[in-house]
Amino acid sequence: MANVSINAESIGKKFSKSLKHVMLYGLQDIAGNIFGKRAKTDLLRENEFWAVDGVSFKLEKGERLGIIGPNGSGKTTVLKMLNGIFMPDKGRIAMSGRVGALIQVGAGFHPMLTGRENIYVNGAILGMRKKEIDKKFDSIVDFADIGDFLDSPVRHYSSGMYVRLGFAIAVHSQPDILLVDEILAVGDAQFYKKCTNRIDEMTSQGTTMVLVSHNMWLIQSMCQEVILLNKGKVVKFGRPSECIYEYSKLDEAEEAKKAAEGKESKFLVITGIEVRDSGGEVTGEVDPASPLNVSARYHCRDDKVRGSFFIRLTTPDGYPLYTAHSGVNDLLKGEGTVTARILSVSLVGGEYRLWAGVSDTEKETSIYDAKQIKLDVRPIASYPDSKRGFFVNKVDWNFE
Amino acid sequence: MEDILYEPNKYLKMGVAIWPRMFRELAGSRELIWRLFIRDWSARYKQTALGYIWTIVMPFIAIGTFMFLNRAGILNIGPTGMPYPLFALIGLAVWQLFATGINSGCNSIVTAGSMISKINFPLEALVFASTAQAVFEFLVKSALIIVFFFVFRFVPSWGIILFPLAVIPMLVLTLGLSLILSLINGVLRDTANIVTILTMFLMFLTPVLYPVSTDKSILFKLNPLAPLVTAPRDLIVHGRINDPVDFFISSVLSFLVFFICWRVFYIAKTKIPERV
Repeated sequence: MANVSINAESIGKKFSKSLKHVMLYGLQDIAGNIFGKRAKTDLLRENEFWAVDGVSFKLEKGERLGIIGPNGSGKTTVLKMLNGIFMPDKGRIAMSGRVGALIQVGAGFHPMLTGRENIYVNGAILGMRKKEIDKKFDSIVDFADIGDFLDSPVRHYSSGMYVRLGFAIAVHSQPDILLVDEILAVGDAQFYKKCTNRIDEMTSQGTTMVLVSHNMWLIQSMCQEVILLNKGKVVKFGRPSECIYEYSKLDEAEEAKKAAEGKESKFLVITGIEVRDSGGEVTGEVDPASPLNVSARYHCRDDKVRGSFFIRLTTPDGYPLYTAHSGVNDLLKGEGTVTARILSVSLVGGEYRLWAGVSDTEKETSIYDAKQIKLDVRPIASYPDSKRGFFVNKVDWNFE
Repeated sequence: MEDILYEPNKYLKMGVAIWPRMFRELAGSRELIWRLFIRDWSARYKQTALGYIWTIVMPFIAIGTFMFLNRAGILNIGPTGMPYPLFALIGLAVWQLFATGINSGCNSIVTAGSMISKINFPLEALVFASTAQAVFEFLVKSALIIVFFFVFRFVPSWGIILFPLAVIPMLVLTLGLSLILSLINGVLRDTANIVTILTMFLMFLTPVLYPVSTDKSILFKLNPLAPLVTAPRDLIVHGRINDPVDFFISSVLSFLVFFICWRVFYIAKTKIPERV
């Protein structure tokens, strides 16, 4: 237990669907607490649902976990349980150390007070003593980079300054466990870099981190392990690239379901991607020497659609290696198939993703739809692998 | 490194062990309470031109009105043992510690808004900080009372030294009720309105603006707030409490209410972020 930072055992949280029940059950629960009655929290009362249902994970000191999932999957609720805002209705959470959260920056800020005054208010809310804040004051102001506005009322701050100040204070609370939820959505690119660097620093010094985000790049770069949640349950637990792939499949499954029910949200949908070998058989594995034969099936709901088909090879994290566009063409209404043939795969052995999609033009200002499949490249002797780089080619050497 | 454990019914399971924990947490949040108080206080007075002078204006108006009504014979208060404006001012000061206290306390959790559902911090601090505002106003009015002693050339008896002590039960009752009301108001928003009306109504049922008259004493015997208002005033006028037994009972009740409400609040507070 000594090295375990967070241990969540089969935790669950339920909520009421209707406002009437929120009030009713709220009063019932308070009355129950007055009379010392222990609520049977693991049963559902009328109009209640499980927002989080049986999620378990264990993190050691310094580990970094990402939680991803569609909206309403329970990610933020799990984080709130870790933060001690909600008590689990079933299961238990054990944590050791001081918990800090980058969830709502600027909590407790009063618009009439100056930045300086608000630093003390926010710091106190986050659990910092006055002495601690005094010591870190200059560092906080420096990080926030708000210049002379420190002594102006916060109501005069731009939204960027507001976030920078809030974040600067939160980042100085030096927790043992750090909980982060999507706040990095606000702020410019430079500040974003500052924040991620700072988080990196903290985690390398042994801070355990749990990150909830929709930004797959962030998840990929920051987390060692990822949990994929859907409708309150854990769908997958594993490496970031695996879970991200699974997430996209979830998305596609939802779309396919909608399409089957006739509720197509998109007018153009890629319905299947296949890679065939030289014999014409469908395969998931190719070698660098062979050509890459891709065929994509699509369904187009409307008339007079024009677009450019593209195929793209990426690393499992989504880093693009190669894109080829067909050029803008008319697309027929109904079912259709497009095939593309790349003369030689030329990739180093390993796992890749192959995307096929349609966009408005080669510039990809608007992507109508895109789907991905896994593609493995099996190395062969005539195309020697190199550990450096993604591509292989036959090279003629000449010494003179 | 402290160990944290979250599970259903956590605080109920703790039983009596919860009390030392409650005290420790309260002691730990004293800085936060102070900060929240300062925040609300400075914000409040920054937005006005007259600042905290407004705190004094209201009682002036109330007293002026009653003096006028008394002189005009419309309201016959009778002998109070001291100049009437002073009598009313002392009564009002103590009453409003209670009334403003529970009214703002009742709203304290709801006005904090999204902060509650996003940050983990001791919620009691919000309630205590709002009561601190009422205490501040009480202190301002007390200072005003001292000024009026000179204006009306009234010499208080030695009992005035015990005046602050005699107000403590009222303060404790205010805290206790604020805690439970803020909890209920979080779920049922009507509560704030009910409290407003109730305090207005109760003020007339309590000897704040008029003295206790012996023939109607049944009504005052039944009102636990009555001794809490009259006792501090008696100390100033007579140097002793006229009904010490009643005052004692009310004080004990106040402390009891406070401890019960505080405990309920502590146990139930984990439900607040869900329901607000």
